[in-house]
This record gives sequence, C-alpha cells and structure tokens, in this order.
Amino acid sequence: MIDTRIYEQFRDIGRDLYTANMISSHAGNLSVRLGDKLVIKRRGAMLGQLKPHDLVETGIEKNDSGVALASSELLAHRTIYMSTPALAIVHCHPRTAIAFSLSRDEIVPIDNEAAYLLKKIPVVAEEFASGTPEMANKVANALKDYKIIMLRGHGSFATGQTLEEAFLWTSILEEACQIMLYAKLIDEPFIEYRKMSESYTKF
Amino acid sequence: MAGWSEKVLEIDLSTQTYKTYPLDMDMARLYIGGRGLGARLLWDLVGPGVDPLSPENVLIFTNGPLTGTGYQTSNRFSVTTKSPLTGTILDANSGGFWGMQFRKTGYDVMIVRGKSDKPVWIEIKNAAITFHDASDLWGMRVFALTEKLGQNNNKRNVLCIGPAGENLSRIAAIMNDRERALARGGPGAVMGSKNLKAIVVEGKDRPEIVDKDQFKFLLYEARKSLAQSPLTSQALPEFGTVVLMNIMNNVGALATRNHQQTQFEGAEAISGEELTDNYLVRNASCWACPIGCTRISRTEKVEGEGPEFESTWAFGAQCGIADLPAIIEANALCNDLGLDTISVGSTIACAMELSEKNFMDSELRFGRADQLAPTIEAIATRSDIGADLADGSLRLATKYGHPELSMSSKGLEMPAYDPRGMQGQGLLYATSNRGGCHMRGNMVGPEVLGAPKLIDRFQVQGKSSFVILHQNTAAAIDSLVLCKFTNYGVAEEYFARVLSAVTGIKYSTGDMIKVGERVWNLERLYNLREGFTNKDDTLPPRLLNEAPTDGPSKGWVVQLEPMLKEYYRGRGWDENGIPTKKKLAELDLEVLL
Repeated sequence: MIDTRIYEQFRDIGRDLYTANMISSHAGNLSVRLGDKLVIKRRGAMLGQLKPHDLVETGIEKNDSGVALASSELLAHRTIYMSTPALAIVHCHPRTAIAFSLSRDEIVPIDNEAAYLLKKIPVVAEEFASGTPEMANKVANALKDYKIIMLRGHGSFATGQTLEEAFLWTSILEEACQIMLYAKLIDEPFIEYRKMSESYTKF
Repeated sequence: MAGWSEKVLEIDLSTQTYKTYPLDMDMARLYIGGRGLGARLLWDLVGPGVDPLSPENVLIFTNGPLTGTGYQTSNRFSVTTKSPLTGTILDANSGGFWGMQFRKTGYDVMIVRGKSDKPVWIEIKNAAITFHDASDLWGMRVFALTEKLGQNNNKRNVLCIGPAGENLSRIAAIMNDRERALARGGPGAVMGSKNLKAIVVEGKDRPEIVDKDQFKFLLYEARKSLAQSPLTSQALPEFGTVVLMNIMNNVGALATRNHQQTQFEGAEAISGEELTDNYLVRNASCWACPIGCTRISRTEKVEGEGPEFESTWAFGAQCGIADLPAIIEANALCNDLGLDTISVGSTIACAMELSEKNFMDSELRFGRADQLAPTIEAIATRSDIGADLADGSLRLATKYGHPELSMSSKGLEMPAYDPRGMQGQGLLYATSNRGGCHMRGNMVGPEVLGAPKLIDRFQVQGKSSFVILHQNTAAAIDSLVLCKFTNYGVAEEYFARVLSAVTGIKYSTGDMIKVGERVWNLERLYNLREGFTNKDDTLPPRLLNEAPTDGPSKGWVVQLEPMLKEYYRGRGWDENGIPTKKKLAELDLEVLL
C-alpha cells in the first residue's frame, strides 16, 4: 500500500512535467526511494494523469512481482539508487536540451540561475539508449558527480532528495537551453558577466 | 600528501611521555578525519567493557583535511571517546579557533591515554610537547583558566575542563576558546578522570592544497551560495540559532516541560527576536566562517557567548521558564563550569517533573528561574541535589523509580525538537549512535525549514530514506570536519569537490556519502560490541504513546515501529539491526570482524 502523501507528489510533478512540455503523453518517469525499495511509475501510464494505481513498489536490488508492471527504465532507476545518494529521480524529454545534446558533450549554461545552480551538464551517449544495462551504468556513473545529466538524443535524468528537487534541476536545465537557443537566434556577441566563469567547464 | 599532515601524536599521561608516528593513509582515505578517523581509531584502542572513566579509555582529538585551509567553516575538530553517560561510542565536535590551531601544530590526530597521578596540563607548541603541573589550576573555572593560560584567538588556543569535569559529572563538557564546547555525552568527565586540566596549542604549519585554482573557485561559489541562502545570510547572522524558537513552537514541535507539551506559551519571550532586540551586544564568528551565528549577549550579571537555541530551549521551554536573562546567565554558568547545557537543562526538567509528581523530594518546580543557577552550581560540585543530577536524567529518574521520565535515548538527553511533530526526527533520535542527538542528521532542514526541500513532517512511509541520507551526510561533514550550517547554503557536491581539490584524491558526492555510511556502520558495530541491541533503538514511552492534545501536532505520536523496520532494511541490516556481511563488505568494514 503506497502512502497517499507519496502518490500526491507523483501526481503533481507528473502533471507539471507534461504541462511544461517536458514529455509526450506517455513518456518520462519518476521514482522515489523507500529504504531498500523504490516506488516508480507503472509502465504505460500517462505521467500527466497519474492515478494511485499507476504507482508500483518494487525492490532496488531484489526483484519481485512489481517488476512486471514497472517502467521500462526501472533498471536505470535502480542503478542510480545503487550508485548515488539519490532519494528521487526525474527522467523526462526536455526538447531544447535534447536538441543541444545532439551536438555537444556538455551543456554549459550562460544564464545566471543555471550557471549558479548547475554549472555544467554532461552529455552521455549510448547506442541502445533505453532500458539497457549499458545505458543504466553510463547514466548512473555520470550522476555520481552531477545532479542532472543528459543522455544524447533521449532525455535528462535528474536526482534529488525529493521529486520536487529533481524537477527543479530539470526545469532549470530546459530553461537554460531555451535561453541559449534565443541567444543563438539573436546572434550578437556574448558579454561575460560572471567572475571565474572559465571554471564552469571544469566543474 | 596534501590534505593531511600525516602525523599522529600519542600521549601517555601515566608516564607523561609521548610519541609520534605516521598516520595510516589508507585509513585516512577511507575515514577522512574528524569523527570518522576517531571512530576507526577508537575501535582498535578501546575494546568492549572498558569503564569510560578508567585509564583504559582514551581521548582522540582529530581534525580533518579541510581544517585550517580557509574553506568556509573549516575551523572544527572532534573528540572521540567512550561515553561515560551512555556507554556508547561518543564523538563531539566544536568550532571556534582551537581546531584550526591544532591543525597548525602539524598533527592530524592526538590520542591521550592513561591517567596522570596528579593534575597536569599539556602545551603543544608547533611540534614540541610540554607537560605542566596543574595542581594550582585544579578547581579553576573555565573563563579564568582560559585567560590565565594565554588564550589568543588566532595564535594560542586553550581547551580545558571546569569543575564539572574534575568532579566526573557524566554530563560535563570539554570547553575550548572559552565558550565553545565538546559537550554531549560527558567527554569532560573522561578528561577529568585522567587528571588532565587543559591542552594549549600554538602552531605555524599551513595546510597544503593540491588544486589551488579549483579550491579558489569553490570558495568563491560557496561564498555566493551562503550569501544567497536566507538561512545563512539573514536568519542565522541576525538571530543566531535561537531563530528556531518561534519556528519550532509554531509547528508544535518544541518540547516543553520535560516533553509534557509540544508548544510553550512563553516562546516569544525567549525567542531569537527577543534576544536580538534586548540582549545582543554583537554577533561573532568562528574562524573562517562567513555566517556569524554566534551571539554575544549581555545581562546585568554576565556578558559572553550564547545562548544557542538548544541552551535557550533547555533552560527555557523544557523547564517552563520564560525569563531570558536567567537563561542567558544559566548558559554562561554552564560554560564557566564546563557542562553540557542540553543535558543539564533536560536533567533539571526531569527533576522538576519528578518533584512535582512527588516521586522525588525536592523544591524544584517548573517555571522557577531562580532555581537554575544554584542547581547548576550543585551539579558541577556534586553537592546537595547536584549529587543526584550530575550523572544525567536517566540515572536520576531510575534512582527515583521512574526511568520513563528521562527524555533520553540510549541515555543521552534529547534536544529541543519534539519528534511527535517531526516523524523523521523521532527515528533519528532512536537510531543515533551516540543517543538522543540532533547533530547526527538533523531532520529540521527537510521537515521544517525546507532545506533542501520541504517534506511532509508527518509522513511515515519512506521517511527512513531521508533519515539514512541525512545521517550519512552528517557523518561525512563531521569527518571533514565542517559546520553543518554550511549545508544550508552549500550542497554536498561542493564538499566532495573541495575535498578533491585539497587532497588531490577524487571523491564524488557518492564517495563522500559512502564515507559517512562507513562511519555510521562502524559506530553501530562499536555499540553492538558493547552489548547494545535493537531494543535500545527506542524513545521514551511518552513520545510513543502520549499524543499532544492541542496544537499543530495534536493527535500524533512517533510511529517508530514501521519506520524502524524500513530503516533497518534501507541500511542493509538484518531485522535485528545488525549490519549484514554484504553491507560490511561493501563498506570495507568486514576486515574489522
């Protein structure tokens, strides 16, 4: 039995991801850690319209019947929990960030908020970019050093202590990418306003 | 190697001799410093069954690789010993200046063993050690002694005990820099049992930093973050830690009258706002701290540091006292006598309840501010009623037949946060390795302050995950050794990166939290070896069975059992709370067994 308080967090963040254009109708997933277990979105459920029965509880290291229902990205979520101190994960498909991930190995924001909070977002690449152990390991490894990363052409994975926190990093990333896109469209010389900004690429 | 001085100083008081030897660097990489290194050394040095007040117990003073580097709050140090109050492993850490100066003497660790046959004080000048006769200092109070031994914040720093430690009060603190305290669990009594009155340090070594550019960048970014967080840039500098008084009262989680209520009608009168408006002289800082939460307060009788939130609560709400000047004076008196304010206040509150209910024959009553000072004096000297109170609330309440009235866990008096209004805090107290303590992963951040993000304080399912993470994070921060307030503005990833920059060893955030988990499990193993079991992971019956009848926490008791089950599983322990072989192997701890 999953606590109503936990369901409400999934419902609200899922709805916000959809309305913010971060996912298509059935894409993306969320999970939280509960001790040696996790709660994750049911496979095929619509993130923007989650019902209590759309949440599945299963083990982090140990399989049970829950795996039959869980999201296809369960393996990535499990690997992240086993490799990092994360208590919550938000995975979605932020469009502008995906566009930038196609041509860059890292995204270095130029706006104040993202530079301040994220510094740099690494881009990892994997041929089989959904549901594979290779992808899960690459994503989890990158998340050891960063709270949000991009999987090239696929989407973002963000960790936090709460879903709200992981959603915050996701939202900041997409906003930063949109700002970079607008700056490219304006196409005027960039005037640096941040002290020691060269250190961001080394972060 | 940068990050560590790589030197251990071992002092044997029985022979008044010392030796130095290299720090085991494999151990340092696994445990970093501070609390972690202290726990690992205590495991080897103090085996099961040792009387904490016997010469076989040791005091282990440790700093960390960041200590003295200038990174924000890199002023702290630790003492690790076996607690005379609880019988558990004990680590206490303190700020001020002594830790930075100790680092400058060129030692990472100082182990103090044995017992001197007469009072002694130790002077460490750079690397030279001198033993001095302290017969004429025995009996002196902390403030006068600190001045006599030449305290000078940035050059020469004094750590000492007061009369409470000499008289082996199990709630005695070790004091440093006049009014800073290694307070909880009675380390002052251990120092007193060794006839050691003071340790004075003077040094000139400068810690090395491998990646100076990255260090400078992280210092700059942390400064920005701390300036941006309202907690570290406004609330703490302006009101000190007492800013929490009204906040905790408003959410119905302010333990009142020995935890008989969860709100105090006099909270406003003893709040941070009241302290700032009417008693604050100025604020002050520990070395390399941009926050400046220290209060310098003045009443007609005293002027000095404090009081902190916990001290204000302990003599205030917990004793039903709304007289702020009396509380400021009680805090100063505890500092001068060398006592732990939380345990003293809560023990007095316990005695007040025992007396009001006629279980104990004394005049102590809730709300009597005039009784604080004489009772504190009596505790430090073990005279009159102090003979009963000097060893903490559990021994007191047990003597009078009502151990359930001791508001402690594993014998350590709990601090201000009433866990009936904060489920995670209840689990934290019950599982803390040194007993009822908030500094082992305080849940006030996520459950009340929204740092890093607000979580539902009444949520039970899943709460263990937060507690485990915060316990591991706190153990890592205590091993660095930094002040936990930096974590209100700076995320753990900064700590990992600054540790990497200073030492040249790559630590990810996860690596650092794993150090914390390793430390937590080692402390657990120590307590298990001492005979503690899962039955000790509990709380006073009042918190499990008696729900507040009004206020925001009305109807709630701590739902400990389901949280504890989930907690053991989440920790990778068995159902009896014993770490599994798999978990120990994962943490490089199996070699110890």
